[in-house]
Amino acid sequence: MLEKVIEVDHLRQTYDGRNFVVDDVSFYVSKGEIYGLLGKNGAGKTTTIRTMTTILPVHYGKVRILGMDVSENAERIRKRIGVVLQNESFDFASVERNLKVYGMLWDVPREVLKARIEEVLEVFDLSSLRKVRAMELSGGQKKRLQVAREFLHDMDLLFLDEPTVGLDPIMRRSVLNYIRDKARKGLTVLYTTQIMEEADYLCDRIAIMNKGKIVAEGTSSDLKAKYGDLKTIHVIISGELDYNSLKVKFPEDVIVDNDEIRIVSKNVEDILPDLIIYLKARGIRIERISVEESSLDDVFLKVVS
Amino acid sequence: MIPPSLRLTARNLIINTDPGTLLFLIGLPSFYLIVLGLMFQALIPNVFFEGHSISYAQFLSPGVVAMQPFIAGSIGGSMLWSDRRWGMFEQLLVGPFHRIDYLLGIIYVSMIFSVGGAMLMFLVSYLLTGFVIHYVVNIILIILVLLVSSILFTSLFLVLSVFIRTIQTYNTVTMFIFFILDFASSAFYPINTRTPIGLRIISYANPLTYIVDSVRDMMFASLNRSDLIYVMIVVVLSALFFIFAALSYRKAKI
Repeated sequence: MLEKVIEVDHLRQTYDGRNFVVDDVSFYVSKGEIYGLLGKNGAGKTTTIRTMTTILPVHYGKVRILGMDVSENAERIRKRIGVVLQNESFDFASVERNLKVYGMLWDVPREVLKARIEEVLEVFDLSSLRKVRAMELSGGQKKRLQVAREFLHDMDLLFLDEPTVGLDPIMRRSVLNYIRDKARKGLTVLYTTQIMEEADYLCDRIAIMNKGKIVAEGTSSDLKAKYGDLKTIHVIISGELDYNSLKVKFPEDVIVDNDEIRIVSKNVEDILPDLIIYLKARGIRIERISVEESSLDDVFLKVVS
Repeated sequence: MIPPSLRLTARNLIINTDPGTLLFLIGLPSFYLIVLGLMFQALIPNVFFEGHSISYAQFLSPGVVAMQPFIAGSIGGSMLWSDRRWGMFEQLLVGPFHRIDYLLGIIYVSMIFSVGGAMLMFLVSYLLTGFVIHYVVNIILIILVLLVSSILFTSLFLVLSVFIRTIQTYNTVTMFIFFILDFASSAFYPINTRTPIGLRIISYANPLTYIVDSVRDMMFASLNRSDLIYVMIVVVLSALFFIFAALSYRKAKI
């Protein structure tokens, strides 16, 4: 049996003593695994991460990281983990100096640090920016610096809280591949994102959080299989649509986003003709229509709604 | 392996040693010493101090030396503030350190700035007045007083930076405290029976007065019992402020 690197057992966290932002959450992550924690804003992902990384005390439940209780061994745990926080963070210095100082903070031997700095500058495409002050970088470049510096030091477990926000698709893929490569070499990763494709591509297992609870957990294929009898109707329309009456007519999971309607259902064959008639009767023009198999996005929407 | 607090100290030194900081640390006291010291000499040719007649510039020298921990402390407080502003405070709290290491990292840098700045002030004073301290033991004692004072003032400014949300407010409050502590102390003039009673009370409630008086005695006179009391007051205040800073820092919002 694989060693458990993260064990969260009935964790409950509250900021005001009444409302629980994390409510009875339990999961584990094994060594070398990439575990995705998904959820919309305010689902409790960041609070869970902040608890696991020892920033917040455990209010109720148990959290063990690398076999140690976070309430008793915070300092020992912090020496063996890496954390890329959601909020940007950097020193008021050049990219290169940021990396050097960060490596020094982690007591990385000078020669090793020199080589690793060159490696991450290359991998994260920061070489041409090495002399630029961090505060002058764009949002995506700052994020790259933030992720890059975490790979300067040795660690057993890496927490990545939405690390690809602001990255272009090429850099995003490159970062994901780099993380995957590190995981193959034994690094355990806890990854949060709101981009389902990323989770699908990267994560060995996924947990979906909603309102402080884990509402679904498994591999991407497991989740698709579990909710896989669902299909999604995508309709692009032009014209004014009364969302409430649509919701009454089709009580399945309907999402309207500007001129796009998405209905996730088991019975698309029954719904589709009715939907077309419904829209035509209201003078709404159908620009495009398609039916797709469920993606992780659809699973997420289904589970969270 | 280098202790974590020293790694944080090195980081703070690297990140915060910029021309603006150095100008604030050295420029302002140098200005006081050179401009006020020389200008007021026309008005106050000599000051009678502990049986010696010294020039006003010489009288002012301990004042600007004793200001160094205060200025270094305010720089220390701004380090915490900017770490919170740029997200590094939270990042460092998930790093390989104990929480107290972060505080010590700032206090140690303030001590370095304080003693380094004081040495430069001694140099400026020497160039201006030709005065040198003759006893090594006095120099060591002055350094010890400056180190302890650095804890006091850095703690004070750390408390402020925990509770103050904007850098504008932080700077305004710092300048306000700076003026009160500087001018309601014995840095620029002796506090004696001719000083109005109200101002005398304020001056003796001001820790800078004890620091200036003890440094002045260590520079120009022989040490006496009152210096020991002054140093004890500074030590006790430093300990109290450090405890207060540590408690406030635990409440610091990330």
